[in-house]
Amino acid sequence: MSQALNESKSALLTAEHLSWCTDGNLILDDISFSVEQGSFTGILGPNGAGKSSLLRCLYRFVKPEQGTVSFEHNDIWQINANDYAKNVAVVLQETPSHFNLTVHDVVALGLIPHKGIFSRADKSDNEKIIQAIVQVGLAHKTQQHFEHLSGGEKQRALIARAIVQSPTLLIMDEPTSHLDVRYQIQIMELAKSLGITVIASFHDLNLASAMCDNLLVLNQGKLVCQGEPKKVLTSEMLSDVFGVCAHISEHHQHKVPHISYDYGYIQYKHGEHHV
Amino acid sequence: MFKAELAKNNIKANQPLVSKAQVNKTQKTFVHKKHGAWLEKKGISQPVVTVFAIVGCFFSLFCALSFGAADISFADVWYSIWPNEADKDIGFVSRIIWELRMPRAILALLAGCGLAISGLILQTVTRNPLADPYLFGISSGASLGVVILITFTGGIFTVMTPIAAFAGSLVAMVMLMLIAGRRQSQQVESMLLAGVALSFLFSSFTSLLLYHTDPQAVTAVLFWTMGSFSRAQWENLLFPAVVITTCITFMLAYRRQLNAMLLGDESATTLGINVNRFRIIMLLLSSLITATLVSMCGGIGFVGLMIPHIVRFFISQGTIFGILLTALVGGIFMIWVDILSRTVLVNQELPVGVITAAIGSLFFLTLLYFRKNRAS
Repeated sequence: MSQALNESKSALLTAEHLSWCTDGNLILDDISFSVEQGSFTGILGPNGAGKSSLLRCLYRFVKPEQGTVSFEHNDIWQINANDYAKNVAVVLQETPSHFNLTVHDVVALGLIPHKGIFSRADKSDNEKIIQAIVQVGLAHKTQQHFEHLSGGEKQRALIARAIVQSPTLLIMDEPTSHLDVRYQIQIMELAKSLGITVIASFHDLNLASAMCDNLLVLNQGKLVCQGEPKKVLTSEMLSDVFGVCAHISEHHQHKVPHISYDYGYIQYKHGEHHV
Repeated sequence: MFKAELAKNNIKANQPLVSKAQVNKTQKTFVHKKHGAWLEKKGISQPVVTVFAIVGCFFSLFCALSFGAADISFADVWYSIWPNEADKDIGFVSRIIWELRMPRAILALLAGCGLAISGLILQTVTRNPLADPYLFGISSGASLGVVILITFTGGIFTVMTPIAAFAGSLVAMVMLMLIAGRRQSQQVESMLLAGVALSFLFSSFTSLLLYHTDPQAVTAVLFWTMGSFSRAQWENLLFPAVVITTCITFMLAYRRQLNAMLLGDESATTLGINVNRFRIIMLLLSSLITATLVSMCGGIGFVGLMIPHIVRFFISQGTIFGILLTALVGGIFMIWVDILSRTVLVNQELPVGVITAAIGSLFFLTLLYFRKNRAS
């Protein structure tokens, strides 16, 4: 993506000096960044770095102690929860309990922000639901119980729900963990194909490198670096943040950074190599 | 390889991805099989089942008017509801039907509907299949109210009994709200635990008071807790009818939000729902239903816990018809339980709670057994 094009786009979501603490522990410490319209932003960081907490601040689940998050230049806490849900869809790892919701039922939940309490789903809503189900490739499972789906299918059903919500921003919390490599790629390609702004947290750095336009790296609640994958994914960052030794090369096909890990060099203590 | 896989799964780059023909095809294929529960798999649609349930409900009411200690034929029931001037005098029969059996049958219907709906609400908002209208100490609160009344006034059953029961349930409800409403995180857990603790607290006070009262009062209280519709009167039916109708309307209006609660609190929040407030309102509604019914009919177990599960075996409960069917099945079940309680023993009435628990559990176990077999 050229620099000129980047500048011409406006910021969809901006976080300014975001801090959040719980039980006296500072979880997020003065984080500022902005997400461009139409971009794919990845959030990286070791376990406990604050990735999920940051996302929670973005999707209005927790209110930060300090700082603001603005969506289209409005503070998200000034926006009505329902109006925010019309614009921002979230795919989480929580899955419905065993109350026999079918795939169709789960996908239909995406209508909630758009429907008044007494309005019924009309023909176009049903078409929208079926279209989303077909789009994620679950047409043959429409009538199945959600709980009987595989991990990847569950994720896809939840993405279909997000599609029905017709958002401008999709937030996903570790959408690819617990999935095999085929589903990881499939889910990410699917999210990218929607053509909307996406923010997702990742554990697979190579996947993040291949999919994202912009990366944010968190470590102990601080935003340590951000930018294009080429700029962010360096051996120094991997060593500092993740404590691993890695060799960065160029992906043979996509020309994005490709990480090969060196084994036997895990740092048990910061700066100290264990061989 | 990858592209082939994507193509196979209909995942294509760049929107719009799905042709109209494809959507139509899928819609046609699944028009009868939209939901996965048993009845829908057989291709029977929910509206049809609901119509059958409504017809079944009227039929059950009709039976309830006919069966009982005094044998009244269906024809007599018909003539007393729609009097025919040329017909014989059935004044006495008409009085039995209008003054005794009709209010009683309607109360049974209301109680069944109310408890089933109340159970469905609680199981959904707490995401706990064991949630039950009595789990939150509402029935123990009512019992305590009644026992306090009996202990201090000495009278066994008076006009004051339902009022005392209702007051007891309200105290339990308010205490639960105060505890659960305060917690913003882990609301479900604190609600369930607080409910169980309150229930034990009230039961212990009840036992203490009973320990010191005379044995006659103990028997009376015991019968009261087993439930009965014998105190049904026309003038007492309006309040439960209003409460239950309001709650069902409210539930139908918020059915999507109820379904979303099953996704988990965090996901429900991202759909624009104020999860904690919604849960408290729903808890309030279901407690109100329970308190009203407990004060009028005593404790009737099983229905609130099991009817939603039984209905869930057959149909998907997320829709308007699913909710209505849960209520109707509860109502029909209760009418027949009442008929049994009046007819099994000659000139004697069995407590309703005994029958609901016995029949209901056997039926549920049978269902569970056959469902397990089918799955394997």
